[in-house]
Amino acid sequence: MSAVEVRRLVKRFGAFPALDSVDFTIEPGTVTALLGPNGAGKTTVMDILAGLARPTSGTVRVLGADPRHGRREWRSRIGVVAQSNGIDLQLTVAEALRLFARHYPRPLPVAEVLDLIDLTDDAHTRIGALSGGQRRRADLAVGVIGRPELLFLDEPTTGLDPEARRGLWQVVTRLVDQGTTVLLTTHYLDEAQHLAGRLIVLVGGRIVADAAPEQLRTRDLAPTIRLPLPPGVSLDGLPVSLAAHRDPESGELRVTSADLTTDLEALLGWSRHNRIDLTGLQVGSPSLEDAYLALVAEPTGSPS
Amino acid sequence: MTAAVATTHGSSHRMPGLWSLLASQVGYQLRLLSRTPRAMFGSILMPAILLALRVGQVDRGSAGAAARTVPLVAGLAVLGLTSTAYVTYASSLVSARQDGVLRRWRTTPLPAVGYFCGKMVAAVLLAEGAAAVVIAIGVAMTGTHLDVAAVPVLAAVIAVGALAFAALATAVTVLIPTAESAFPVLAVTFYPLVLLSGAFGSLSVEPAWLTTLLSYLPAQPLVDAVTGALRHSAGVPPLPGRSLLVLAGWGAVGLLAAVRFFRWEPTRPPHGRTDRRTGDRSAGGSADRPRSQ
Repeated sequence: MSAVEVRRLVKRFGAFPALDSVDFTIEPGTVTALLGPNGAGKTTVMDILAGLARPTSGTVRVLGADPRHGRREWRSRIGVVAQSNGIDLQLTVAEALRLFARHYPRPLPVAEVLDLIDLTDDAHTRIGALSGGQRRRADLAVGVIGRPELLFLDEPTTGLDPEARRGLWQVVTRLVDQGTTVLLTTHYLDEAQHLAGRLIVLVGGRIVADAAPEQLRTRDLAPTIRLPLPPGVSLDGLPVSLAAHRDPESGELRVTSADLTTDLEALLGWSRHNRIDLTGLQVGSPSLEDAYLALVAEPTGSPS
Repeated sequence: MTAAVATTHGSSHRMPGLWSLLASQVGYQLRLLSRTPRAMFGSILMPAILLALRVGQVDRGSAGAAARTVPLVAGLAVLGLTSTAYVTYASSLVSARQDGVLRRWRTTPLPAVGYFCGKMVAAVLLAEGAAAVVIAIGVAMTGTHLDVAAVPVLAAVIAVGALAFAALATAVTVLIPTAESAFPVLAVTFYPLVLLSGAFGSLSVEPAWLTTLLSYLPAQPLVDAVTGALRHSAGVPPLPGRSLLVLAGWGAVGLLAAVRFFRWEPTRPPHGRTDRRTGDRSAGGSADRPRSQ
């Protein structure tokens, strides 16, 4: 039996279609990442699967039950880590874990969870006194204290520094190794690539891609030329087909090339003439980010 | 991070009993309240200070001094207990909603009613404590005689009053979008009511229509009931039936309104609209770049 089955899921807020005929299943013991720009419907999907929101139409089964009618036993089998922390700041980490543990039939031992999230030394520190990364780990700890079969992680590492993010990845990986099914949303593509075996990309409430990271990265995309450019460098003399692809934020020239030889010849000629340093020039297959950006830029259509 | 956590899944274990969950919730709420100094100020310190100031103005040797001090003690006890059951309760509920605490609890096996039962029972216990402290100070300062036989009736009246105000507080959170906007709404709906109802001492000049109106609002019957229990000199005082009926009625109104209109989800900015009934959040905003580190 699938851990999650979603069929023709529609969610409207008034006339606004937040989700439009979404279909997917998730098998037990896997990690699936929901990707998409803000407003794509990722959190709405999570809320419906966790029983926090009602679909307008469609069928949803989570661990064999309809989340709208999920009973206590069903809720004891899921864990949710939402975007907001959701733990009272006046409690210590250990108090919060003991409190939530009492609501589950077979919770994990508090000491083990403290060790798992590396907060044993801060067990008696109030949540309000923890750093952002520590709070997020405490939040994850509360989400897993009930020994969930299915864990929903909604942007679990947003705002964390790289070290804290990797620490959380380790925790998630360990849980998955023990058999937990994970559905996560994230804006970090490296996080999705590292943790998930499958990526579902939502745009405008519709699934535009559903594939393994490597499949998504290599989907129908031409090679990419990347060249970091210092601020103020003029692109005069460079063909418009190349000059038009300067990233306004990073200043980087990023071109998906249909004719690599011609484009490189033009770039080399321009750099020679203008004495532009080509240190940092990269030519290669498209990155996951390239593939993702291409997907979300396309008009919404059928899943690839 | 070295622990190998055994997460082998299975669902053959029994769910925790509802009574143990309720006890856990009451303990949890009392712990939160005990760590919120603001709650202690409104519940105990402020009524005690006001009591000390007002009792000092009464000539205890004068004729009818006891008759004047008993309503004062009762009124300030009611101020303390209603401040706990209404202002503190509603503020903490709005904060819990805004901070995602309510959302978190909804995803656990705790029944929704369990959270509110725990919170209300904790509010009643704290209200009883707050009223007891103010009454004890009042008895000590004014020499008022308190018959031990009246204590159970007093405790019952305070419990019903606290429950009624907690139910109304649950309903009034519908009008409060954020924790920052809680105090103005609570102040407007609370202080005029308790002031006019005699919680700060009886007001001598009140039009008849206002007196009648106040007798049907929740604070005045509570002050009357506590005053009656404190004044009773011998034996078990009769239950103040009318006062309890009015309080129960307001409690029922508060509960019905809360069941119908209560929002579990925090208010979101316009780009993330909240479905009023279900708490569902809409999507919105613009496409942004993925993040890489």
